[in-house]
Amino acid sequence: MIKITELQKFYRTEEVETVALNNLSIHVKAGEFVAVMGPSGCGKSTLLNIVGLLDDLDNGSYLFNSIEVAKFNERKRSDLRKHNIGFVFQSFNLIDELTVFENVELPLIYTKVPAAERKKRVEEVLEKVQIMHRRNHFPQQLSGGQQQRVAVARAVVNNPKLILADEPTGNLDSNNGNEVMQLLTELNEQGTTIVMVTHSEHDARYADRIIRMLDGQVLMETVG
Amino acid sequence: MIKNFFTTTYRHLWRNKLFTVLNLLGLSIGISAALVISLIVYYEFSFDTFQRDSDRIYRIVIDANFNGVEGHSVGVPAPLGSAIPNEITGIEQTVPVFQFQGDATIHVRIDEDHASKPLLFKKQKDVVFTNNDYFRLLGYQWISGQQSSALAQPFTVVLTQSRARLYFPDLSPTAVIGKQLTYNDLTLTVSGVVGDLDKPTDFNGREFISLATIEASSLKENFMMDVWDDWMAYSQLYVKLSANQSAQAFQAQLNTFYQQHNTERGKDITLSLQPLHDIHFNRLYPNIGGRIAQKSTLYGLMAVAAFLLALGCINFINLTTAQASQRAKEIGVRKTMGSSKRQLIQQFLGETVVMTSVATVLSILSIPIILRLFSKFIPEGLTADFMFQPGYLFVLLLLVAVVSFLSGCYPALILSGFTPTSVLRNQVSGLTGQTRHAGVRKILTISQFAIAQFFILATLIVSQQINYSIDSDMGFDTGAIFKFDTPRDTAETKSRQLLHTVQSLPGVELASTGFHAPADRGVSFTTVSFHNGTEELKPTTQIRWGDEHYLDVYGIKLVAGRNISPGDATNELLVNEQFVKEIGFQRPEEALGKFLNWNGNAVPIVGIMKDFHHQSTRSSIMPLLFQKNNGSTFHVRLKPNRDGQSWSHAIAQIQKAYHGLYPDEDFNYQFVDEMIAQFYEHEQATASLLTWAMSLSILISCLGLLGLATYTINTRGKEIGIRKVLGATVGSIVQLLSKDFVKLVVIALVIASPIAWWAMNSWLADFAYRIDMEWWMFAGTGLVAMVTAALTVGSQAIRAALANPVDSLRDE
Ligand SMILES: Nc1ncnc2c1ncn2[C@@H]1O[C@H](COP(=O)(O)OP(=O)(O)OP(=O)(O)O)[C@@H](O)[C@H]1O
Ligand SMILES: [Mg+2]
Repeated sequence: MIKITELQKFYRTEEVETVALNNLSIHVKAGEFVAVMGPSGCGKSTLLNIVGLLDDLDNGSYLFNSIEVAKFNERKRSDLRKHNIGFVFQSFNLIDELTVFENVELPLIYTKVPAAERKKRVEEVLEKVQIMHRRNHFPQQLSGGQQQRVAVARAVVNNPKLILADEPTGNLDSNNGNEVMQLLTELNEQGTTIVMVTHSEHDARYADRIIRMLDGQVLMETVG
Repeated sequence: MIKNFFTTTYRHLWRNKLFTVLNLLGLSIGISAALVISLIVYYEFSFDTFQRDSDRIYRIVIDANFNGVEGHSVGVPAPLGSAIPNEITGIEQTVPVFQFQGDATIHVRIDEDHASKPLLFKKQKDVVFTNNDYFRLLGYQWISGQQSSALAQPFTVVLTQSRARLYFPDLSPTAVIGKQLTYNDLTLTVSGVVGDLDKPTDFNGREFISLATIEASSLKENFMMDVWDDWMAYSQLYVKLSANQSAQAFQAQLNTFYQQHNTERGKDITLSLQPLHDIHFNRLYPNIGGRIAQKSTLYGLMAVAAFLLALGCINFINLTTAQASQRAKEIGVRKTMGSSKRQLIQQFLGETVVMTSVATVLSILSIPIILRLFSKFIPEGLTADFMFQPGYLFVLLLLVAVVSFLSGCYPALILSGFTPTSVLRNQVSGLTGQTRHAGVRKILTISQFAIAQFFILATLIVSQQINYSIDSDMGFDTGAIFKFDTPRDTAETKSRQLLHTVQSLPGVELASTGFHAPADRGVSFTTVSFHNGTEELKPTTQIRWGDEHYLDVYGIKLVAGRNISPGDATNELLVNEQFVKEIGFQRPEEALGKFLNWNGNAVPIVGIMKDFHHQSTRSSIMPLLFQKNNGSTFHVRLKPNRDGQSWSHAIAQIQKAYHGLYPDEDFNYQFVDEMIAQFYEHEQATASLLTWAMSLSILISCLGLLGLATYTINTRGKEIGIRKVLGATVGSIVQLLSKDFVKLVVIALVIASPIAWWAMNSWLADFAYRIDMEWWMFAGTGLVAMVTAALTVGSQAIRAALANPVDSLRDE
């Protein structure tokens, strides 16, 4: 599903040029659950952003479902993204002014799903993450674990083939963290491909394969 | 402490450059407008307030009522001034002020012994006839000459220092005494020099000829020095009452006295006392060559200033509270360190005072430039120096205080109200509390746009009405017709000769002589009556004069009967349709041949003119008479202007012929359509004032909106990022961000529309023929405001929407 070869990514600021990713190649098959690990600043989030088509790459090739997307413009990337990829962030990134229901509904609005259908799908997925009873609450009124479950619900409501999670348990205690990991595993078992960045060896064990990075390069891969 | 205050203030303002600049701009515009306008208002209201006992000084004026037609005159019968001191008690000073007739100007000649050619000053203004009391009344400074007797003798003149310097640049004020000046054909001896009045005053005399000169010269006749039942605007009379004299009792005495001298018409005439403070503002009694200020205009200006100032303050409040969360940390830390709420309030108010003061200094520096840019609105004689009057400096301080207070209070309370714990929990921008302030900001933004849209609507409607009035059919032709005056008192043969020449020019279609144009400045009434068998009908009637070509020059149509016949037939009249109606006939034909009682004669109606407007379209059409008269005003209709040059060529030819006959006179002509446009001068001034108010209010509101939008969008950066990650397009985000602001504009329109509708309705009520307010005016206003707001917000929204979501979502 994901085939990246010889990827390079630079950040240029006024004084310095940082090489965030250097000649990196990875391959993720459909249905896989992959964990990405490595020290802070090694380029994990940068990689995830590129995989998620949020950021463009400077050099290299990126085949997504066998389509070359490296040269895609913003519009095409956005199109591909909203139908195929869901995101879960360390800091949840829910919109404070919207309710739980409305937050989860958002991706469906952007993919132009009709209202009745939206309601059904949002309720289904809220049921699944066991947050249905708080559907009319605002994010500020929920605990961190609950917020992250909403974020997961939002990521999967569109039935994406790929879920990208950047330290999804980083802001959670172990109980809440485990719940979220459980959720991701279930999704993976139902066929969703997952790429997850994590600092936790415990969480990484949920994955089929661990990619370890250092200084913008892949150090080694271990199959669990 | 103070140093700490200034460093934090300075750093805070410097760090938020955009906000500081927007704030300063908004405040400066508001304050500049307020400063200039208060300067104008202060100047106008300070006219003639410097005289000692000014509350006892009055001008005697005439209010008359003849057959229901009201008339007013600034002048009184000439003999009144010399009679009342002996006849009426309670007067301290009696000061007649006469002016030369015509345009109140005069040629002044100086025959210096050694100079080969006499020095000639044409058309000198500000020359008056008066007596010695004049100088006491107004508190003049004597420089040379005998104050008590300078104007006692005929043929003496007192000059102000500026005029003495003009006429005798090399002589000292004492040496000027005894010099001679010739006013037209009067030779006068300088008997005194006084300092010029340096305060705003309507007493604009600079050369004072002794009143006795009139009695002792041929002027006596011209000034009707013995006529009690007639008067001219050139003979004014001021009195200063004694300390205990009531004005009412004095006026009663005065009128009783006057009736004895005018037994016939005296009962229709009231001599009134016009207080000194009313002279500068009352349009009923205009000074010749003077200027009347309109209080309504001044109040309008003050309202505009207040609105612009309010807009500036609102900007300040909006931007400052919007920024509040950025300062939450500073506040939290200060509070934890022991600062009291009061100290914080003082600090924030202090910052506002600094901002306001900077804005005020900027405004003061720009005043001379503004005065020059807006010279059209600035009253004559007002310069930037006037600012340094102690009274005005007080106004200035008051302004800074009020603006600081208005714009500083609310933000200071909000900012100082943050609790340290909420700051530590980092929740200031969360759902709680902040929404209420956002609500206040919304209300303030709505008021800004309501004001701006009110001005847009007012400008639109006023200019529509002016265009309508100017373009509306007057009922006679106005294009390609001009008129000019010839001297009245010259032989009629010259005038005949000129008419003949003008008529024969190839560029001229038709020429006529008469007096007023069909619609002209001022009105001329006549008394006429018609006996319908049972009663004598006396409609209030206007009159126009001209020769037999007059109607053709102006394309005035006859609906019945015939034109007046050529020759000297003065005993036939034309009337308009309205006149026919008012003497009780249905159809014009019925009035033909009927005799009117006019000036004691029975004169037949020979023709009925189609109604035309004889004044601006503000007034409705009245009954009107037309009488044959070879007047001194020429009315010339030019041939259609094919090559664009023929008109100026024809006018040049006429000018040449004119100067051939009247070598000493100036040739002044005016196109009739331009004169009609001038009927709406006051409205035009209102329109351009409104245009400025509109532009500035839109500008200030947009500055505020820009600041607010920038802030709001910055704080929503994360949300925008999330939405983009989830697939939102740039368009949908711009729409999302702009929607809220556009909503505010719509609400503002809903508020402004009825207010504007009401205000403009009462403004339009003055016009007999007026436009209707239509829905598109309101819709258009909303559209203009919406587009402006959308552009302002849109630029920021697009910037935000195009930003890479990765940047705003990076976990710190
Ligand atoms: N927008 C940016 N501008 C400049 N440099 C950046 C930017 N984003 C990331 N970098 C740099 O690129 C490198 C990789 O950053 P990245 O965020 O991918 O690290 P990470 O592995 O996710 O670290 P962490 O575990 O702390 O989240 C770092 O050196 C970082 O400083
Ligand atoms: Mg990271």
